[in-house]
Amino acid sequence: MTEESPEEEYVNKKGGFNLRVIYDRIIGKLSDPSFHKTAIWSTGSIILALVVAAVVMVMTGYNVGLAFLTLLWGAITQFDRVLFFGTPLIFTGLSVALAFKCGLFNIGPEGQLYMGAMAAAIVGYMFSLPIVIHQLTALLFGAFAGFLYGLLPGILKAYRGTHEVVTTMMMSYSALLFTAWLVAYPLKDTTQTLDRTPEILATAELPKLLGPFLNLSLIIAILAVIGVDYLINRTVLGYEMRAVGQNPTAAETAGVNPKKNIALALGIAGALAGLGGSGEILGYHHLFQDNWSTGLGWDGITVAVLGNNNPWGVLAGAIFFGALRAGGIQMQRIAGVPLEMVRVIQGLIVLFVAAPRAIDWLSKRGVDYAIWLKRDRVPALVHLCTSGIAGASAIICLTVFGSFSTMMEAGVVGSGGSVTLLLFLTSLISIYALIELLMRKPRGLILLVFAAIEWLLISAMGYVARSMVIVGQSLVFGVVMLLMVVLVVKVFPETPVDSGGDN
Amino acid sequence: MQTGDPMLELLGWLLKATLQMATPLVLTALGGMFSERTGVVNIGLEGMMLVGAFSAVAGTYYSGSPWLGLIIAVLAGGALAGAHAIVCVKFKGNHIVSGTGIILFGMGSTTLGLQVVWGKQGLSDSVERIPEVVIPQIQGVPMLGTAFGSLSPLIYYMFIITVLSWYVLYRTPFGLRIRAAGEDPSTLDAAGVSVEWTRVIGVIISGCLAGLGGAYLSIGFENAFGKGMTAGKGFIALAALIFGNWTPIGCFLAGIFFGFVTGLQFVIPILAPGLVTLTNLVKIIPYALVIVALAGIRRSIPPKGIAIPYEKEKKA
Repeated sequence: MTEESPEEEYVNKKGGFNLRVIYDRIIGKLSDPSFHKTAIWSTGSIILALVVAAVVMVMTGYNVGLAFLTLLWGAITQFDRVLFFGTPLIFTGLSVALAFKCGLFNIGPEGQLYMGAMAAAIVGYMFSLPIVIHQLTALLFGAFAGFLYGLLPGILKAYRGTHEVVTTMMMSYSALLFTAWLVAYPLKDTTQTLDRTPEILATAELPKLLGPFLNLSLIIAILAVIGVDYLINRTVLGYEMRAVGQNPTAAETAGVNPKKNIALALGIAGALAGLGGSGEILGYHHLFQDNWSTGLGWDGITVAVLGNNNPWGVLAGAIFFGALRAGGIQMQRIAGVPLEMVRVIQGLIVLFVAAPRAIDWLSKRGVDYAIWLKRDRVPALVHLCTSGIAGASAIICLTVFGSFSTMMEAGVVGSGGSVTLLLFLTSLISIYALIELLMRKPRGLILLVFAAIEWLLISAMGYVARSMVIVGQSLVFGVVMLLMVVLVVKVFPETPVDSGGDN
Repeated sequence: MQTGDPMLELLGWLLKATLQMATPLVLTALGGMFSERTGVVNIGLEGMMLVGAFSAVAGTYYSGSPWLGLIIAVLAGGALAGAHAIVCVKFKGNHIVSGTGIILFGMGSTTLGLQVVWGKQGLSDSVERIPEVVIPQIQGVPMLGTAFGSLSPLIYYMFIITVLSWYVLYRTPFGLRIRAAGEDPSTLDAAGVSVEWTRVIGVIISGCLAGLGGAYLSIGFENAFGKGMTAGKGFIALAALIFGNWTPIGCFLAGIFFGFVTGLQFVIPILAPGLVTLTNLVKIIPYALVIVALAGIRRSIPPKGIAIPYEKEKKA
């Protein structure tokens, strides 16, 4: 994806290991325009996802401000946990990223992680070996189990053309069931009621770094980032993999064997995920329990996508997700927002990252608007206020809708069904109107009229229900909206909108 | 169980289990077909099924009618597919990445919904199921009685939708547009039909059908929503779609085959009660057979324009 910039090549030729070269290389990477683009896309997606998540929270009746504050607070104050949660994601993220470089989408790192973890746990408690050798053997076996588990779909893809998305996923579900069976019967620690293996021997445990969470697997993870970066960008194998990923037929014509590369890429991807699983078991859990991973493989996909499949991007993405998880736990405890919210945010991020053009499009709209605001101040300001009203209407509708639905559930309000539905509709129309207004299309004004009519309807309903608060609020909204529309159309007939450009 | 030959009874049960397991797979695979024939890869089927299954239960819970729940499930699946369509068609994003986002969103939002609606972690309250179609005349017949005596109406819909899909795809102008959008979008464009809209509609149909498949799981087969209850069925449906070579009849047959394989796990414990300790291993069989089946077929041919965003030629 990200090509090496010319200046970086130049720096490499000079070679040598001094600070100046490393500094130049980092600066070269940072001033690379493609890096800027990726950074903007990733940040934009995160912001957009958080905005949508805020809307979801408002609709389900949670306190958005408190939720985000605790999320942020939890992420900042518990740095060791952030890194601890991020460590396995570095491995699974690298796994997905490496496969992607070869044009393969490995969506089964969860299964490879389970197999690696299982292998490491078995070596950890069944064999007794001296201290350093024991850890190394366990890690090696974990990586090897993951390698084999990734190699099989790789071979199937290379030689039979079997779609790797389906096979890695199927193998992932199989691995979960298989390890569940292993810990339930043959390997079960019979002194325990839970399905788990006996604890690993002390010689196999990875040393802790700081506090109870961080352990040596973080260092291994960072080494893995460097290793994968080297493998992809500086070795023949990595070069061939990228060639196959970009165009298999062209690579084959140039004398690269795509089959070998495809199989190996998925194998190495599996090994990375397996290593991540073994690190978790040897470093923290110290035994294999059924269902111990909470979707680390899925998080790895998000991390890789967010990091644009670049090893260093994966590192950044993994730390970000560690922060999201550490903060999410805090958010669950204090603001009462379930941890699943983090998964929702994650899905949204991936969805937005998939469409970089959406971010481009939005930023282009924003710049257009700013230019317009500078050129003709008065009409633009009036237009901006109209958009603001649409936005405010959407937000208030959603908030009221959220509190209404929770009230209905609690039985405070008996029959608010029609009002709730109306509120929901109004919010949808307001959002749509806002989007159209931001694009400066006349349709936005028409939609706004509809929203105003709905507000008036709501106020009528409020009158029937004898709730003066609802009547007052919605009347004001409806009337102000209509006035704004009239103002835009009548006073500044030239404002809408043909200057908005196409697309 | 009724009296009669136990072997025949068992066959009847197997037939019923096959139909039950195949229904969500066939519906979802047909949905995937509509999306992929227009040229949009849809690996988000799993997420759309989950959302369908959840909203079916939530809709039934709030409205009290499973039929309304079913409609809500179809709409919810379609809405989620709409997001996929916007990302893939309008913003020309990566189809597979977007699909993964859909899956993650589906998993997260449904478990979140469990907590918001019922305040529970793993399983929702039970709701009313869609009433089964009972045929009293057939119930006395040995094998057929067990198999067809009382089935969910969605199973019959599955047959109807298969035939309908075939008819729509091959016998209507709309079907021709769908196929053209996937095979040769520039020709479709030259004929004056919007490639983008055709694709958007195809993707939304796929979400509706996947939502229906998910709804069958939660209010047709079971009567509650469980966390992650689709358990990879969206991916198996995707495999059925590939196995069935992107045709309606192929999807149907492949779905029935995978349904049969999944149904086997209910029959094996009856045949060999000593295997209780191997339950988890028996559950692996369908997943493994999906891989074997996919690896065993000749390279199947996807639509030509799949996963390639269509860039309209600029006017000179």
